[in-house]
Amino acid sequence: MTKKTNEKMGGNGWEPRIVAFLCNWCSYAGADLAGVSRIQYPPNVRVIRVPCSGRINPLFIVKALQTGADGVLVSGCHPGDCHYISGNLYARRKFALLKSLLEYVGIEPQRVHFSWVSAAEGPRFAEILGKVTDSVRSVGPASKMIKKFEEVA
Amino acid sequence: MLEMTLDKSKVQEFLRLLGENRRLFAPVKDRMGTKFSEVADPSLVCLDGLNTNLSPKEVVFPQWETLYTFKEDHANEVKLAAQETLLFGARPCDARALGLLDQVFTWEGIDDPYYLRRREKTCVVALACNTPGEACFCTSVGGSPVGEIGADVLAFDLGEQLYLRALTERGEALLKEASTLTEKATEEDKQAVQQAAAEAEKQLQAIPIPKDLAALKESFDAEIWEELGLKCLGCGTCAYVCPTCHCFDITDETKKGVGRRVRNWDSCAFSLFTLHGSGHNPRTTQAARYRQRVLHKFLYCPENFGEAFCVGCGRCITNCPAGLDLRAVLERLSSLAKVT
Amino acid sequence: MKQVEETLRQEVAKLLEDGTIDVFVGHEAASLPLKTSPCFVRSPKEVDRLVWNRICTSNLATYLPQLFKRPVGLKGEWTPPKVGVVAKGCDSRSIVGLIKEKQIPRDRLFIIGIGCEGMIDRHSVGRALGVVGLADAKVDDKSVQVIGTDGREKRIDIADVLAASCRECQHREAVLSNLTIGETPSSAPEVSHYANVAEFESKSPQERWEHWVGELSRCIRCYACRQACPNCYCEECFAEETAPKWLGVTTDLSDVFVFHLGRAFHQAGRCVDCGACVAACPQGIDLRLLNQKINKDVEELFEAQVSLSLEEAEALSSFRMEDDQSFMTEP
Repeated sequence: MTKKTNEKMGGNGWEPRIVAFLCNWCSYAGADLAGVSRIQYPPNVRVIRVPCSGRINPLFIVKALQTGADGVLVSGCHPGDCHYISGNLYARRKFALLKSLLEYVGIEPQRVHFSWVSAAEGPRFAEILGKVTDSVRSVGPASKMIKKFEEVA
Repeated sequence: MLEMTLDKSKVQEFLRLLGENRRLFAPVKDRMGTKFSEVADPSLVCLDGLNTNLSPKEVVFPQWETLYTFKEDHANEVKLAAQETLLFGARPCDARALGLLDQVFTWEGIDDPYYLRRREKTCVVALACNTPGEACFCTSVGGSPVGEIGADVLAFDLGEQLYLRALTERGEALLKEASTLTEKATEEDKQAVQQAAAEAEKQLQAIPIPKDLAALKESFDAEIWEELGLKCLGCGTCAYVCPTCHCFDITDETKKGVGRRVRNWDSCAFSLFTLHGSGHNPRTTQAARYRQRVLHKFLYCPENFGEAFCVGCGRCITNCPAGLDLRAVLERLSSLAKVT
Repeated sequence: MKQVEETLRQEVAKLLEDGTIDVFVGHEAASLPLKTSPCFVRSPKEVDRLVWNRICTSNLATYLPQLFKRPVGLKGEWTPPKVGVVAKGCDSRSIVGLIKEKQIPRDRLFIIGIGCEGMIDRHSVGRALGVVGLADAKVDDKSVQVIGTDGREKRIDIADVLAASCRECQHREAVLSNLTIGETPSSAPEVSHYANVAEFESKSPQERWEHWVGELSRCIRCYACRQACPNCYCEECFAEETAPKWLGVTTDLSDVFVFHLGRAFHQAGRCVDCGACVAACPQGIDLRLLNQKINKDVEELFEAQVSLSLEEAEALSSFRMEDDQSFMTEP
């Protein structure tokens, strides 16, 4: 990170790392559109493309939090638009329960986000990322779920 | 042989003194009865329970430990230093179990440095049992509620005071260190101890233990394993609460360019225990796994070490979620042995 | 209760005699007080092993799938056995779930339903005794008379040592059976459902986290919870999978969290709150507080009940267009 960006981000050098699981048909294409449209959005996100939001095993999200993600974003097609007809609708039920369960055990709800973004919604994708990044940033670096190793020289 | 008495009102002071430059592990109250815990405050120590729900083996053989760490092209050894440790209030069965573990981890002259670093620094003060616990059968497997094996000091609860008998040099040194708090045991004390010991041993019921190894070998294909296998849920509870179970698994864990090799407790009841890399599993049924657990303790260990690896603490019996009782299994095996 | 036990034995003897079933899965007395063990009765001569009392706590559905598995290495034709089983309300619901998930065949199962007034939780009795062990116990309709290993006697009200699941149980009769014996159980008590979950939810995030840190640091990864659970029949559990390796096998708190969150989540819309995991845990971890949270959410968000009939779809294998999405950042 350059000194300038560091200052812009608050100066302490910490930047949230966010893992985004995006479905191939809508949200990933939406992210792509945001890119080719040259819309600026925070560089904190690491995108993992999945076939469908229905492909997302809730363990992906838990595992991301265990291995060091400060936040997770999951995004798929709007209800009714799923390439596989109903993958996102099954997924929605899982996500509702998982979000609630994580909050229940004391994980900050600001870390885990879900959204629907279509292939045409480039600006919306950028906007959501801004929101998600701010939200994760507001709760600081993750520590609760992260598996820590001893120092390795 | 150093024999001392310690007024019970001074136990806390005794532990505080000895705990000054040692890690102190002792039973404390727990929702499951009592458990061994590293205690900073000796007032928490509770000697009223019999067997703790989990055995104290993890003091010397923790559930998991890092063997070494690594990075791309090199490995780092972990420091093998261990702190002086006092294991206070282990029951004689648990102390004896440590003696058995010692045999495994130094088997055929090959020392396990990870185990020995802790074991060699651990001083064991065993507390003799006045009454047996709910599933105790130590006398049937060669132990005793007042047994001395594996311990450095054996303590007796005489009501108002603890009688302490040093069994090893280390035990003697320990008692000397706290000599300001103790008094020399009188003839009367010694007699009281003898009486308590006789009382305690009398209360334990003897159960038949299959000792005919050839007959036990024959039992390999016996029908009894089938039903036991159906009952056995395949969890690792019995192995994890057992003071003598010592099987472990070694796995690598990696994370962003660094890794570590860790050793973890394992249990022969797990179906993955014998799963080969090829996908083949020589123990396909729970019956075979349960048989392994019993025969390892009562057949293979006697063959390898000359004695059964069971100290009769009864933890596997009280904790088995399927209500399996090792004593009943042993009884059935004994009668099988008689028939054949 | 004695009479129900006698009827059960008679019925099982008949079923075995006329060949309706090949094996019956029931409870038998275990050697320790207040403990039973599952038993597999194959001949009418053995039916006296069967018991029915207030300590038939374990969920027998757990033991069923293994009986319908083709024996390893067997060549040639194999017909799965006809299996009889005794079922409380919770066992029967687990059976319904297993049938729906195609782990056991309905047509080879003979279910004897018995109404249940709640079973005794051995851990609770242990807690009432404190640090001493349980030397002996006698149970009557209202109380448990226990003798500790220190020789002291104590009378405990049975209501105080019922399993937590039983106290809130709303389905005391088998929801699926071929035969019902015994009396209709008294109606379920008026309890505020999920009171424990609601109370826990009202705590601060930090308190909630610390609670689970405390609970889960007790875990010894023995998997008794998983193995006792009728829903956990996977040949290979995610906890032990190596490709991908979801989590380590250590008792590092992070691994333990992933395991228990993962396991709880795999029960979503499937857990019948039988309490088997809680009863099995040698460390007395209140796993129910985790599972019940998901049950509560399933009920509130999807208006779904778990495994009450063979027809209804499970909550997570169905959806509605108008399902709640208020949890989403940008729906």
